[in-house]
Amino acid sequence: MQKFFSNKKLIILMVIIIVTFGLLAVSVSVRNKKETPPVVQQVGNDVVSLVDGVFAYPTNGVKNISSEFSDLYNTYQENRRLKSKIGDLAENQAKLKVAQDENKKLKQELKLNSTLTDYDTTNASVLSRSPSSWQNYLTINRGQTSGIKKNQPVMSGSGLIGRIVEVNEISSKVELISTDNEINDKFASEIVDDNKNNVTGVVSRFDDSTGDLVMENVNSVKGIKKGQRVITSGLGGRTPRGLYIGKVYGIKKDDYGMTNSVYITPAAELRNFTVVTVIKSTVNGEK
Amino acid sequence: MTIKSQKIIGQVVFVMLAFYLDGLIKWAFLNNMNKVNLTIIPQLMLMVLVMLTMRIDSRKMILIYGIVFGLIYDSYYFGLIGLYTILLPLVLVGIDHYKFLFTKPSVGYEISIYFISLTFIQSGIYLLEKLFRLASADVGDFITFILGPTLLWNMIVFFVLYVPFANLSDWLVSYRRGTK
Repeated sequence: MQKFFSNKKLIILMVIIIVTFGLLAVSVSVRNKKETPPVVQQVGNDVVSLVDGVFAYPTNGVKNISSEFSDLYNTYQENRRLKSKIGDLAENQAKLKVAQDENKKLKQELKLNSTLTDYDTTNASVLSRSPSSWQNYLTINRGQTSGIKKNQPVMSGSGLIGRIVEVNEISSKVELISTDNEINDKFASEIVDDNKNNVTGVVSRFDDSTGDLVMENVNSVKGIKKGQRVITSGLGGRTPRGLYIGKVYGIKKDDYGMTNSVYITPAAELRNFTVVTVIKSTVNGEK
Repeated sequence: MTIKSQKIIGQVVFVMLAFYLDGLIKWAFLNNMNKVNLTIIPQLMLMVLVMLTMRIDSRKMILIYGIVFGLIYDSYYFGLIGLYTILLPLVLVGIDHYKFLFTKPSVGYEISIYFISLTFIQSGIYLLEKLFRLASADVGDFITFILGPTLLWNMIVFFVLYVPFANLSDWLVSYRRGTK
């Protein structure tokens, strides 16, 4: 024993191992709590994110320019396709306006203050992405001061991209839907089809090889067709109803042939965006 | 302000610049989310710290750099404390311990040291995350799809940036040489 304590290097090694595991175990176990991160860490992250904003601004500019060039390349075909849809759009907008007004009035009649489809939004721009293989985090420049809370869903333009996992005063982290983290990649969802069949399930996995989202626990696959739209169902209370996720790509049986998984092509281009929208549900489910 | 403290501020700014570049490069150019076959992780901060460590004589200073920048890296990018906070100072002190073997920093020495430290840090992170069930890839996939591309990319960047970065690092620690 005497000899063991006289060996300085061995003791240092032991202390390093204990400290490493201690720190990691503590931060892994507290990271899903509401009050984390601690104030010191929040302030540190905010200071770092402030300077990051200075660098992110030109970077996002360059990113936008490069995507504009690729847009320019496709302009002609896209323009033709879009022109054919303009007529529909105006008609649908008028319909939507009428339906929304009617919905509002009916809600007032019923004294319904808020339903699963009601939400507020906050826009934020992306500062950086974690240089890491498993922490699929984006840092955005909005935080508690803008009313952002943990677990709020995040959209980019057309579709869902992830969930808020860490909130500081003026910055937050978004975990992308392509993550492996089992707590944060699940979204209660449903497939919208014309026959009013309510097919619900949980988007619970991201297929790395194809880039598709996988919807599991589907109650029935009857009537599901390629191209049908998938939205969040609002069940569970964390996410409002009606956020667009993507389109059905196909149905596969699992390895044992027991359950069906619906593969979804995500609507959000998970690559070319610089601005995201945080969705704040007005109905509070589980706290 | 003495020249020494000016140079230290310069070193900190240099490392922080590389710190931000890591996140921005990942975001702007290596942002593979739709097809996640290959993952490349830019590690410019490690590159800068390795170059500075090869030139700074004080081990205390190196240790402080490792812990402080490791802590910021963990907190800002990972949201977990304990990965870079431990591995970074370990690597830097390790380099400091064995650098007496090299008479003068040169591109060959430095690239091999950077290669070894990068492998050590990435593998360390993989092992720790695997242990805490944060990582899902198995060892073969990790080496083929993450470690391999990361090493290749970073080696190429090291070659491209070696001359300006090495000169800047020389200049930022040169007050010691002048006084010796």
